[in-house]
Amino acid sequence: MKFDRRLFLNFDWTLLILVLLISSIGLLNIYSTGYSLADFKQSHLYIKQVQWIFIGLACMGVAFCIDYRLISGYAYIIYAFSLLLLIGVFLYGDAAHGSQRWIVIGGFSFQPSELVKLTMILALARYFDVHKTDKGYSLRELFVPFLIVVIPFLFILKQPDLGTALILVILFLSIVLFVGVEWKSLLCAAAGCVVLIPVGWHFLKDYQKERIVTFFSPEKDFLGSGYHIIQSIIAVGSGQILGKGFLKGTQTQLKFLPVQQTDFVFSVFSEEWGFLGGLILIIMFLILVLWCLKIGLHARDMVGTLISFGITMLIFWEVFINIGMVLGMLPVVGIPLPFLSYGGSSIVVLLTGIGLLMSISMRRFILRP
Amino acid sequence: MGGMQDLLEGHEPHEFRQRFKTLFILVTVALSILVIRLWYLQIIKGDELKQRSENNSVRLRKIKQLRGLIMDTNGYVLVDNRPSFDILFVPNRIKNIHDVVKKLNYLYAERAITFSTNLPSAKKVKRFVPAELEKNISREKLAIVETHALDLPGVAVEVNSVRQYLAGEMMAHVLGYTGEICQEELGKNTSDEYSIGDTIGKYGLDKYFDRYLKGKSGAKQVEVNVRGQEIKVIGKIEPVPGYNMVLTIDSYLQKIAWEAMKDRAGSVVVMDPRDGSILSMVSAPSFDPNLFSGGISFEDWEKLSSDPRHPMENRAISGQYPPGSTYKLIVAAAALEEGLITPETKFFCPGSFELGNRTYQCWQKKGHGWVNLHRAIVESCDVYFYNLGKLIGVDKLARYARGFGFGAVTGTDLPREKSGLIPTKEWKLTKFGEPWQMGETISVSIGQGFNSVTAIQLLNAYCALANGGTLWRPRIVKRIETGDGRPFKTFNPEKKSSLPISRKNIDILNYALWGVVNERGGTGYAARRAEADVCGKTGTAQVIGMPEDRKARRKKIIPSRLRDHALFVCFAPYKNPEIAVAVIVEHAGHGGTVAAPIAKKIIDAYFKLKVTTQVQGSGFIAF
Repeated sequence: MKFDRRLFLNFDWTLLILVLLISSIGLLNIYSTGYSLADFKQSHLYIKQVQWIFIGLACMGVAFCIDYRLISGYAYIIYAFSLLLLIGVFLYGDAAHGSQRWIVIGGFSFQPSELVKLTMILALARYFDVHKTDKGYSLRELFVPFLIVVIPFLFILKQPDLGTALILVILFLSIVLFVGVEWKSLLCAAAGCVVLIPVGWHFLKDYQKERIVTFFSPEKDFLGSGYHIIQSIIAVGSGQILGKGFLKGTQTQLKFLPVQQTDFVFSVFSEEWGFLGGLILIIMFLILVLWCLKIGLHARDMVGTLISFGITMLIFWEVFINIGMVLGMLPVVGIPLPFLSYGGSSIVVLLTGIGLLMSISMRRFILRP
Repeated sequence: MGGMQDLLEGHEPHEFRQRFKTLFILVTVALSILVIRLWYLQIIKGDELKQRSENNSVRLRKIKQLRGLIMDTNGYVLVDNRPSFDILFVPNRIKNIHDVVKKLNYLYAERAITFSTNLPSAKKVKRFVPAELEKNISREKLAIVETHALDLPGVAVEVNSVRQYLAGEMMAHVLGYTGEICQEELGKNTSDEYSIGDTIGKYGLDKYFDRYLKGKSGAKQVEVNVRGQEIKVIGKIEPVPGYNMVLTIDSYLQKIAWEAMKDRAGSVVVMDPRDGSILSMVSAPSFDPNLFSGGISFEDWEKLSSDPRHPMENRAISGQYPPGSTYKLIVAAAALEEGLITPETKFFCPGSFELGNRTYQCWQKKGHGWVNLHRAIVESCDVYFYNLGKLIGVDKLARYARGFGFGAVTGTDLPREKSGLIPTKEWKLTKFGEPWQMGETISVSIGQGFNSVTAIQLLNAYCALANGGTLWRPRIVKRIETGDGRPFKTFNPEKKSSLPISRKNIDILNYALWGVVNERGGTGYAARRAEADVCGKTGTAQVIGMPEDRKARRKKIIPSRLRDHALFVCFAPYKNPEIAVAVIVEHAGHGGTVAAPIAKKIIDAYFKLKVTTQVQGSGFIAF
């Protein structure tokens, strides 16, 4: 494979710097969450996070060096591989906090469900690229994409990991709406969903039902997830305009916040950095998402557009749902905040995704060989 | 130019331009909503929420639950909970722990009491995180702390409950002990069932049945003032106490057994042969499980764990001994059942037995003369069984031993039960890479050599003889019940298997066992009661190497205590037995002289108790 000199000229520095900036904020924040914890082990999470970021950057490097069209050619194989990992977790995985999500490889634990988010995007992009249509897809044409999503969806739901399962569905819907669906099919699908929702409710675990119920009346369950929402809101609100200062958030340091290194990092951040900090962070995310959308818009070909659109939507929805949850606007579902939440799998997968975006971005002027 | 053609086919990115424009707007709007919400919370509601966080009014406090009680078969409480007073330091406003400790020390010194625990170093004390100063303080100290509460800012007394073992060391091995959950145990239980600071069973029944005994902690959300004191309880979830447990153990028999054993090393197990219920289980030497409640001190732990007599080991289920002559019954059973002998088959005992160029002694040097099976068991003639062993062969013998439950755990609900060892030819070949020697069969046939059994296995095997052939799974827990006495789970007697011998042969063996205790010349004469209703078998297990191990024996540094282990297993009455006892006394000499009288004491007590219970209609209060 010949490496074109123009690739370097077109390298997307803005994207890299933006992502590094947000990740650094994330690191500082994780340092703060571990600061007062009595548990020695946890207080060094930020070091592990640094390691993960470096692994992620390496993956990013690999991703932008390889032509995304080449990767797309193997999309189904990559997808199948990630599915195998997911099934592996299902059979042999490591359980923690009551769900079975992790695979342990050489001391590092990894969540295949995070990887599936990315490989699913690749597989869908591949499918819609191969099966192009002008007038929107019919339900029959959408059957294969539906399968691509529903298989990992069921395995992840079984783990149980409601948050990730939900993200898969939302991503699927986003991509399908983006490529276009026949009106008739859309109405049929919507009607089907209305029928299936009560059935789906039946299959949720008790704690998941509880969370959804709690969302609508947080005061009812002041010890469980309702407590989490209330404490999170107190933490955010008490930050006011300028925040309590780095390492000075009392809600954080007193451990009022649940899973503050993962799902609730944003409340830690808002408490310590205030409205100003929160505003800047959200604006950075906005710039990131818009920038990534622009990459999709200017992509050389259909696959590039679809891949970048999928990854962008992944980032957008995770940001939106996570912050919305922390601010008490959405139910508590376990969805990490991109680049800020502690968690190796999430950061490695996201950085790899950014690598793909870079690849698409810098190859936008180059024709296919 | 395939590439150019591609570009012209289907729809291409530019067709999405309109969709992208819409997306730009949607994304911006969505994130703006978040900003608006952030604005609302931090600017509009900011003051109010800041107030709430600053007062830090709302706190979630755990309410610890009470562990379930453990009772004996008659409902006497063996284990309950007592309050323990712990002193905490809450570094809220006053940050210097040392000032407080100095003050405490000063107050203590006034009454000549010393501060007992190691202080947490200043570095380790984190703001807002309560540090434990002293656990389980005496009433005297409690009085000092309570009366000087105003001089001791930041010091709080917390009442916790700790486990109280009323039976003390008498039943330590059965009941076990509890302690604070450790990192390792937390790691094993990834579910939310346990958390830091919880009490967990560490040993014995308290460990095995932890999931029933532990209960569920409650919680309350409280409003507190700046000093951390509760002002108002906003909401509360009551803790759920653990389930209570009723054992099959009779604490009266347990006491008798313990009294007889406490100055020795060994074990006593008493069982009801009718259903496998364990009536008593004693292991000596023992330890005080109360030492562990509320945290054991380092010195106490050192002392216990480095004691060469291993007081923490439950010898009744973990102590593995050569069965000695008690094993002869299994040899006899095998020979009868295989049709190799009849009860009237006689062998001549000249006091020793020749095999190849080796001589095996009978314990009776002058020999027993011509003996049949009955007399051989009664007088425990070794030569008779050397002959049987030679006829049967080790592998067939092993099959019968397994049929009696040896070589496998009996399945008590107690942790760390051992399986003992029943050797076979194949076992020796894989273990040592050497073929089996005939001489080893000779040793095995009188219960020496590689053979090892536990007290509970031995007892269980004899119980099966007593009840006509049923091997029960030893049962120690009768039922688990709720706090108000409603049964939650009942453990019914569980039949494991049947002995591989006929009823006729069982009767022959039982009659011989009766003879051991009641006939003239019987080795178990010391257990004889006036009612002449005890059946049993003595055993003396050699501690040092077997004759054929002479070479090993020479090399070995011979332990200071060379005396043999004394064994006695018995049941009573002869017809329809209802109690069976196994006694193993380490390094005590002959089974008939040491172990048999202990068993007799227990059987006497059992029948005496039965009479008083029938007369008075109530049991005996043990303690």
